Amino acid sequence: MTILLLVAALIGGILLSAQSSVNGSFSKEAGTFESTFLTFMTGAMFLLIVVLFFGKGDVAAILDAPKWQLSAVWFGVGFLFLTILAVPKIGVIATNISTVVGQLGAGIVIDHFGFFGGAQISFDWQRGLAIVLMLFALRLIYVANKKTNKSRA
Amino acid sequence: MKIWVYVMALLAGIALSIEGAIYGVLGLSIGKLESSFYNFAIGTVIIGVILLFFGKGKLSYTKKAPKWQLSGGILGVIYLTILVYGIPYLGVGLTMISVIVGQMAMSMVIEHKGWLGSAKSTVSKEKILAVILMSVALLLVF
Repeated sequence: MTILLLVAALIGGILLSAQSSVNGSFSKEAGTFESTFLTFMTGAMFLLIVVLFFGKGDVAAILDAPKWQLSAVWFGVGFLFLTILAVPKIGVIATNISTVVGQLGAGIVIDHFGFFGGAQISFDWQRGLAIVLMLFALRLIYVANKKTNKSRA
Repeated sequence: MKIWVYVMALLAGIALSIEGAIYGVLGLSIGKLESSFYNFAIGTVIIGVILLFFGKGKLSYTKKAPKWQLSGGILGVIYLTILVYGIPYLGVGLTMISVIVGQMAMSMVIEHKGWLGSAKSTVSKEKILAVILMSVALLLVF
């Protein structure tokens, strides 16, 4: 089960990356807000159909869910806003790298303290070493991209 | 100094992890597909309002665009739904590391091949080493 979910998360990353390329091409012609709107709207349309046929939960229970849980949508929209803000100023690569650092750091902190009622997973040396390796990998990507940009110019 | 822009991008990443963590919990109470649906439905409303007031582009391009450019929504849906399923079992840290590895590897393939309208940029030794390091990090946490 764990391996299956891990592979699923990898596929999730692959799709996320494809999505940013697709949206990037679309937003060149249509605009950033327009591209975001289309993404959310078509996403909602697909999910409406899926929930109608395969949903086992209860959409109406949203009204009873604690408000802090509903606030997640603002973090999703906030992510998007901050990205739109950063990309034109520091470029896609620098933005992605800073985002990944925030994503990873926050992920490990949330796990350690068991914030938001999720599973509590303590920080250990493996996780510490993993962060160091990830930072080093991001540094390598940054260097490699600087090189190709130079050779292009 | 553009340091504050980097801080913004960092905050964006933090927001992404918090979002995943909360939806993981919401998914356990109202249902996983339902949580994903909630995000996209309310997200549409929020962006819709912003678009009305601040939109400067052309939404009408949707009709002219090649169909593959309209696939962003379904890709996002699958991504978020996977996250809602995965996080309660794997934790946010491990889920995010696998997402990042997939993301980085795929961006390299896309750029190397120049797919999906992106500028071509060949894979270098540094980039391959980077993906190997990330995979080792993933194994360590796992």
